[in-house]
Amino acid sequence: MKWSLTRPEVTGLVATPDAEAFEQTVRRSVVLSRLEDLVYVEMATSITSKFDLSRFGSEVIRGTPREADLMVVAGTVFTKMAPIVQRLYEQMMEPRWVISMGSCANSGGMYDIYSVVQGVDKFLPVDVYVPGCPPRPEAFLEGLLLLRNVVGTEQRPLSWVVGSQETVRAPMPSLRDLMRPSRQKATVLREPDEV
Amino acid sequence: MIAAPTIADKISEQITGRLGSAVVPQATVDRIPTFWVSKDRAPALLRFLKEGIDQPYKMLYDLSAIDERMRVHRDGQPSIDFTVVYHLLSFDRNEYVRIKVALAEGRLSLPSITSIWPAADWYEREVFDMFGIVFDGHPHLERLLMPKTWVGHPLRKEHPSRATEMGPYRLPPDKEVAEQEALRFHPEEWGMSRERDGSDFIFLNVGPQHPGTHGVLRIALQLDGEEVVDAIPQIGFHHRGAEKMGERQSWHSYIPYTDRIDYLGGVMNNLAYLTAVETLAGIRVPPRAQVIRVMLAELFRIISHLVWYGTFAQDLGQMSPVFFTFNDRERAFGIVEAITGARMHPAWFRIGGVAADLPRGWENLFRDFIEYLPPRLKEYDLTVMRNRIFQARTKGIGGLTVNEAIEWGMTGPNLRACGFDWDFRKRQPYSGYDQFQFDIPTAQSGDCYDRAVVRVEEMRQSLRIIEQCMDNMPEGPYKSDHPLATPPVKDRTMHDIETLITHFVNVSWGPVMPVGEALGAIEGTKGNNGYYLISDGSTVSYRTRIRTPSFAHIQTLRWLSRGLMIPDVVVNLGSLDFVLADIDR
Repeated sequence: MKWSLTRPEVTGLVATPDAEAFEQTVRRSVVLSRLEDLVYVEMATSITSKFDLSRFGSEVIRGTPREADLMVVAGTVFTKMAPIVQRLYEQMMEPRWVISMGSCANSGGMYDIYSVVQGVDKFLPVDVYVPGCPPRPEAFLEGLLLLRNVVGTEQRPLSWVVGSQETVRAPMPSLRDLMRPSRQKATVLREPDEV
Repeated sequence: MIAAPTIADKISEQITGRLGSAVVPQATVDRIPTFWVSKDRAPALLRFLKEGIDQPYKMLYDLSAIDERMRVHRDGQPSIDFTVVYHLLSFDRNEYVRIKVALAEGRLSLPSITSIWPAADWYEREVFDMFGIVFDGHPHLERLLMPKTWVGHPLRKEHPSRATEMGPYRLPPDKEVAEQEALRFHPEEWGMSRERDGSDFIFLNVGPQHPGTHGVLRIALQLDGEEVVDAIPQIGFHHRGAEKMGERQSWHSYIPYTDRIDYLGGVMNNLAYLTAVETLAGIRVPPRAQVIRVMLAELFRIISHLVWYGTFAQDLGQMSPVFFTFNDRERAFGIVEAITGARMHPAWFRIGGVAADLPRGWENLFRDFIEYLPPRLKEYDLTVMRNRIFQARTKGIGGLTVNEAIEWGMTGPNLRACGFDWDFRKRQPYSGYDQFQFDIPTAQSGDCYDRAVVRVEEMRQSLRIIEQCMDNMPEGPYKSDHPLATPPVKDRTMHDIETLITHFVNVSWGPVMPVGEALGAIEGTKGNNGYYLISDGSTVSYRTRIRTPSFAHIQTLRWLSRGLMIPDVVVNLGSLDFVLADIDR
């Protein structure tokens, strides 16, 4: 694995040759660990034929977090489950990433109820939020690709004695803002009365 | 479900003949014979109904409780604080009976009925957890759904409903350690010894985060070598407070929450809930809406069974079928999406009908699917059902008799696999199921293979029903013109002020259901799914009780797993076909 000292703002989201190699390495090794279940059905769907997650090199799912790079919190986080999620996260090796998949994991969603933690980010750092209830498999794929881009351009300390010890992450602008111009181009919407 | 008055009178006579004036009948909207009895006499009455009476009530269908303290409309019911409600089901009579026991707040205890029905175990623990009602003589009365560290009983009216009322969630390290410690399994608490004949048992914790458990289910296994001596399923990691949610969402806005109970069943859940709501409101659903509902519900039955088919084969080590069946499921979702606009959770049924009429060209979608699926099912017969390894791993595993299945409250395909052709679509037709021709597939031994056989055949029967829906789709409105149908039919709102007012109130506040209580139960994808609703004459339900099939099925796991090997436990789990949200709600 190659590390570079170039700063993200220099490279931007355009991958330099070094970052490209790094990204390639990471792209192949983003091993998932899955959690929870309701939304997991749609996540599992993204692995199967029509969506085929393996196109992006992340079809390997480990039952144990110790072998995983990325944890997908796919479903509601309950107060009874939160300590277990926390323990699983602690078992993951650095560097590690978290995708929060679905409205419940993002914010509690429609379940503002005594047994539900209002978002997994109340106790875990989240890298990508995938909206939806449940998110479509495509949405999950897009979330994964977004994370892959970020991982590819992220700068980590060279060693524990050299330079800043901070992880420098490329800026993650809101997708809503980025997509707005293309979305505004859609002026004719299909009628729901016709298949 | 609607019992004829004569039958109700008959059971009424039999009960009062036995217990005299100790029982007080209550009239309900759903016309299920309902009786109040004192807590001391309840076990005797329940035992009489199970064993002493002719055409007995063999199944403990449901056991729950009601916090009555805030109730305004009592309608001649005793003025008390809590009620424990037993629902029993008689297959011979084809009817339910409801027994209610009144409890005062200071003395919240009553005798346990685990000696009459072993299945009462989890139900009583749930009532204890949610209401703090103590069952004397219960073998192991501890919290079922909430963590042991929880303070309060969530379904009591004074307990906060919203998480945001309870302050922000924090998880400092010491709390994490304490919570983990509370989850530790202590075999002694369950009366398990740590050794036998000088050799130690192994206690293996499976889950709640484990690929084989299909979700956040935890099982504590007591092992002698590789043999399972005992297995304790532990649930509550997926408890979303759906019953409490019903007490604050309007009758209409609760529909999306039902989708997420049996989350593979989609609109099937809506149907169960609406069956109860429409009984309360007295709404007659127009024929076209009924047939649309049946058509989509059966499509979701196929979708749910396809997920089960693939994942069950995967549990047994077959990698390919899950890709095939999920692919078929995508095609079915194509139809669901074209009609409802959503995939898994359409929430598309409405009080009194459905959300919209079918789009133009819907027939072709179904026609393609009906032609597409049967050859695929034939292929899966070859790859899965006739596979020798699959058969060797499933035949003779987890079998049980009809009586045992009834004793444990099993319904749906798991009951039919034992050889009992009980299908609520046929026996207690709802939504016009009596108009359709279909067979009830059964098997004999009730083992894991037979459960699979029944589900596979059910998909073919569902296709038959869908085909009949297509060929005989009635014309007419897709929503009832009853004033409580929500959202109301809009065509006259701009013509007279009364309709406009009704429309405005129904949309902004939601409909006000007449006072009463009703049970609505259907043949869901996994078994009998029932909603027991109590209206106190307001825009929200006073009490929403959801009876789910998976809860009863997973409770049997302890009993099914004894003496098996660890891999067989996984086979048992897969064949029971459960989803966690359906267990924990």
